[in-house]
Amino acid sequence: MKFDPVELKKQKKRNFTERLAFIDQYVDWLKRTPNRVWSEQLKDFHK
Amino acid sequence: MEFEFSEGTIRFDKVPSSLDAFVASFCALLHARRIPYVIVSGYVALVFGRSRMTEDVDIIASEIPEAAFSLLWDDVYRAGYECINVTDKASAYREYLRNGSALRFAARGTFIPNMEFKFAKPGPEEYALKNPLTLVLNGAPLAISEFELQIAYKLFLGSEKDIEDARFLFRLFRPHVRINLLKTHLAGLGVGAKRAGGHLGESL
Repeated sequence: MKFDPVELKKQKKRNFTERLAFIDQYVDWLKRTPNRVWSEQLKDFHK
Repeated sequence: MEFEFSEGTIRFDKVPSSLDAFVASFCALLHARRIPYVIVSGYVALVFGRSRMTEDVDIIASEIPEAAFSLLWDDVYRAGYECINVTDKASAYREYLRNGSALRFAARGTFIPNMEFKFAKPGPEEYALKNPLTLVLNGAPLAISEFELQIAYKLFLGSEKDIEDARFLFRLFRPHVRINLLKTHLAGLGVGAKRAGGHLGESL
């Protein structure tokens, strides 16, 4: 199978841009969420 | 998120993860021996809710004499931890720490998470050690890297994970980030303000 490296590079860049946008959304959620709520959700994730 | 931020101290309470408990327990040993240290890198973002995994927590400590290190080593083992990359404490001090290499401590019989412990080198590490932010987490103090240096250094490292960590801290603590200090650190690390601003989502 042949891949298009130019297209893959574009996809990689777009994915990263979307990741940064997700972080902004997540930070907005953290800011408006009480500590006991977000930290309860994360405590099993950060093992 | 509820927190109090003033005079180089940030206070907040949360439901601790096992990683938080591990960090608090290990750092309490450093506090008890009055060994200056600072936590840098990923945990500084994770403790405030960054949602990713990590295998280690980076701690930079002030260089201490071998006798003081020996006491700390014994404390660490008594507390149920062990060094996973060297077993002999003389070698740990002389061949690793004094040569600029890190020790890794984990709960006995485990590998992850571990504390990557090393002495500060001149440059950003020494700056971080001398200019810590005190995080009072559930009443217990932890010395963490100031946000401006942490953000700049993560952008200097430049992997996608590092840039995401930088953006997370910047956006979360934006009103408290001293932009001029951030710019100073960026310049010192050779990171262009335009590129940094692009990653942080705001012109600097």
